[in-house]
Amino acid sequence: MHGRLKVRTTEEERERKKKEQTLKVKAYRAAMAKIQEKRRLQQLDDEMLVLTSQILLRNPDVSTLWNIRRECVEQKSLNIDDVDQRQAIYDTELNFSEQCLLVNPKSYNGWHHRCWTLEHSPTANWEREVMLCSKYLKMDERNFHTWDYRRYVVEKARTSKQNELDFCTEKIKANFSNYSSWHHRSLLLPQLYPYEGDAQPKRAMNEEKLKEELEMVLTAAFTDPNDSSAWFYQRWLLGYSRQELDVCAFRCDNNRAVLSFTNPIILTEEDVVITDSKGNIKKKITNWKSINGAKSDTTWFCSLNGDKVLEHINDQYLLELHITDINVKQITLKTYKQSVYFFKPPNQSFTFTENVLNELQTQLESCESLLEYEPDSKWTLLTSALLMRAIGSQKYHDKSLKYLGKLEKVDILRENYYRDMASKWILEKYLLDWTSSEDFPGKLDLRNEEHLNAIFYPQYLCIADIVLVSEKLNHYSDKKQLQGFIAFKL
Amino acid sequence: MSDDLPDKFDLIVIGTGFPESCVAAAASRIGKTVLHIDPNEYYGGVWASFNLESFCALLEQGGNKELRNASQKWHVAETLKVAEAESDTVAGETNIKTDAAKQNVLDWSRETLLQQSRRFNLDLSPKILYSAGRLVQLLVSSNICRYAEFRAVDHVCTRFQNNIINVPCSRSDVFNTKDLNIVEKRLLMKFLTLCMTYGEDKTDEDALQFRGKTFREYLQEQKVTEKISICVMQAIAMCNDDTSFEEGMARTQQFLNSLGRYGNTPFLFPMYGCGEIPQCFCRLCAVFGGIYCLKRQIDDINIEADTNIASVVLEGKTIKAQHVVSAPGHLPNAFLQRNVGVYGQAELVNSLSRGIFLSATPLGSEELNSGGGGVNLLRLLAGTQEAILIQLSHFSGTCPKGVFLFHITTTAQSDQPAQDLAPFVSQVFNPDDENAPKLLYSAYFTIMGRERTSATPNVDVSTTIFCTSTPYYELDYDKSIISAREIFAKLYADAEFLPRAPDPEEIVIEGEDPRALSENSLPDDLREQLRELENSAENMDIEDTDAAQAGECTQEDAETQNMDAD
Repeated sequence: MHGRLKVRTTEEERERKKKEQTLKVKAYRAAMAKIQEKRRLQQLDDEMLVLTSQILLRNPDVSTLWNIRRECVEQKSLNIDDVDQRQAIYDTELNFSEQCLLVNPKSYNGWHHRCWTLEHSPTANWEREVMLCSKYLKMDERNFHTWDYRRYVVEKARTSKQNELDFCTEKIKANFSNYSSWHHRSLLLPQLYPYEGDAQPKRAMNEEKLKEELEMVLTAAFTDPNDSSAWFYQRWLLGYSRQELDVCAFRCDNNRAVLSFTNPIILTEEDVVITDSKGNIKKKITNWKSINGAKSDTTWFCSLNGDKVLEHINDQYLLELHITDINVKQITLKTYKQSVYFFKPPNQSFTFTENVLNELQTQLESCESLLEYEPDSKWTLLTSALLMRAIGSQKYHDKSLKYLGKLEKVDILRENYYRDMASKWILEKYLLDWTSSEDFPGKLDLRNEEHLNAIFYPQYLCIADIVLVSEKLNHYSDKKQLQGFIAFKL
Repeated sequence: MSDDLPDKFDLIVIGTGFPESCVAAAASRIGKTVLHIDPNEYYGGVWASFNLESFCALLEQGGNKELRNASQKWHVAETLKVAEAESDTVAGETNIKTDAAKQNVLDWSRETLLQQSRRFNLDLSPKILYSAGRLVQLLVSSNICRYAEFRAVDHVCTRFQNNIINVPCSRSDVFNTKDLNIVEKRLLMKFLTLCMTYGEDKTDEDALQFRGKTFREYLQEQKVTEKISICVMQAIAMCNDDTSFEEGMARTQQFLNSLGRYGNTPFLFPMYGCGEIPQCFCRLCAVFGGIYCLKRQIDDINIEADTNIASVVLEGKTIKAQHVVSAPGHLPNAFLQRNVGVYGQAELVNSLSRGIFLSATPLGSEELNSGGGGVNLLRLLAGTQEAILIQLSHFSGTCPKGVFLFHITTTAQSDQPAQDLAPFVSQVFNPDDENAPKLLYSAYFTIMGRERTSATPNVDVSTTIFCTSTPYYELDYDKSIISAREIFAKLYADAEFLPRAPDPEEIVIEGEDPRALSENSLPDDLREQLRELENSAENMDIEDTDAAQAGECTQEDAETQNMDAD
């Protein structure tokens, strides 16, 4: 076999790797020991920088070593007055962290060290950092560390937002399965194209742009309906934002008062006043108690101890609110038996302008045609249902629930999620219908709603004297809160 | 002959084209002694790439045994100065139509193009590789890929209503294309997904329903639009109206399986031309001891009747070999006249009509040639005939900047390649079309085809001489690899075909104990650090168990954190 090649067997290779590993471990431990010894002696010198870099270049995730490095850098730059010389120290750190990030592009420590270095260096070249981000995102367009860092340096570099948006668009074109990029977009668009109309709740951006974005996201959805990133972005576009703080319901007689809000708030003594139609203060309600005994709550009640607040029940009474976050300052109250009340059913549909409404309608039609090809597509079904709710929750009530029913079957893992969502929609409709029923607001009968599995809006129920619920809901986990309402009788 | 060649080899290979190089490398790899000869002074035979000057010279001398019917034409003036003078004085007589084109064409003359001659790598037999195709798999599994560099094909195109459009290959292509509406996008994606999963379920209804039908009928059944149908038929499945359902499906799957590997399209093109490919195999052959001699004529081959050993007469010297493998055109006449049985000696069939064109502008829209253009692939149809067009820009290392190189290949119908190619050339280089590229240079030739017929007469099992095949009309190298493997299997029945070649670091130098690990194998700074710290570490109590844990930290922490962050 003279002159022939001999190749290592895997056994030999394993043995060799093991030996190499042992040697590396030995070197690692020796270096760590030396670093700790030097730190104890506060020898924060160049040798320390060399030692830490030898380890960090192999494993950039040892926070301690980065901390020691920062101590060294501070120490080193302490006695140097010359700006260029000081800058040189920080430039070394920048280059070093760049090398480490090539080893592990998702090293929290590495990215943090860059931020620290730039913040402390005499002159920071932020444009260079933006370019570095572009370079890194070319290698991995989904590295959220880089996107995060990019937002930080872009702010510092004062890069034009339009440039950022264009960059974002390029990345989405290359691969739209990119939550980071969609997110980046969602932060830029409201600033670049602010909404100036007065629809409530406020749209995320101006309607023209919104339309474009919806089209783009639909293209992604049609290309791959199973990719969730685009659908999530679409949900954001369609404005499933948090409901704004508002009054839901109020009821009061001479003995007790109850007041509830869409979101939890802290109600203070000066906040609520009842006046008559002439503006005379009848009662300043002060001793509010949270229904759950919490500091912040959606529902508040108080005992009025026969204060004769409502002397002439047929008079017109008004509720005055002095709460900063609520736009409505005065509410006209209606009369029911010996009490006055106010009720605004939950969020029925968004008030879109004609323009957006047409776009939503188009989107819905496209989704429906997509369903012809993909009848079981989860995201398409869900989006269609949500679109229907956005366009007209009354009009599409049955159909949207039918879609949720289908979703329970095709996406069995999230079956209860869809059931809960259906319960929410059912209750919304029920509460709306309730306002025109004979029993309103004294009695609420939910016993016939067989698909109602949970009560999402307990704060709306508080004005009823009696809430009749089915056996199923009696076992509802949030029973405590619910029972609080049922027990609450005027 | 001045060189001192051994007088005995296991195998002598004549010709350095793709299949010959493949067999030579495979034999050398399993330890056979190989002598590889080429009568030409260059590697590759009909698989070679030439610079512009040598290419023109080859055509000037009328080609050779394997390359015939050569013609070439310069569409630009001799020198730039003359061109300017001409356009000023006799502008009406020139073929230049528009000002823009005039400007581009005027940038070049025969002289300026030839000045850049060495920047050209003109392939006689250009190929495009499927990223997961037979050749790529072979290059990877044999580790020959270390000798080659590739560029991912930029666009796969098709002609639709007289326009050249980009065929959306990847998911992002489908997302971005303006050529399809959203419903079409869904239909295309759905169709492709269907094809991907086709065959996983053996009892697939489609398989039964479409057995014996054509792929076109299957497409029609899927209710896709005309545009999608054209994209799939012409560019993805690359089939004709009469291609069977099974074949069309297999090709679609081949296309799809090659997607998402290296670039946006499923194809690769070798940097600096396809002539590199046979040379990569030659290089492996040489690494394992193969001996190379170019520009050597074989005078004769004799076969000893009782031993079947071949005596090859190489410029007067006789060399013995167990086997001889030769490219079809290189067997000496003296030998052929004796009519000895040769495995694979074949008739003249499957010749290729080839066209090579140079232009200063690319084919198709700006969108298809963004950033100066890349490698684009376009399959052309004319009646029942088809042709493959490959557009190359300077990024492929086959032409200078500012010049675009076009290869058109079709099966030869006659001994007039220009006539065979005319229906395709007119589709892309129509001089009346303002947007069509204006030619600087064009050349036509025929690659003479010789293919082994399945039953070769006069060959007994113990035959010594084997003949390879010329390039096939195919996009990739599939058939050529199959044919090379077949010869290898005849030569060495039980041997593995091109097992993975070791990397240099896996090779043990003779006399070295493979288990020994010296500090020398550590990276420089680590070794230095180790030495420096060894003394201070001596005093520390390092237990092996602790050390192992610490080691895991250094190695695996980073990985764990990677996963967490993801």
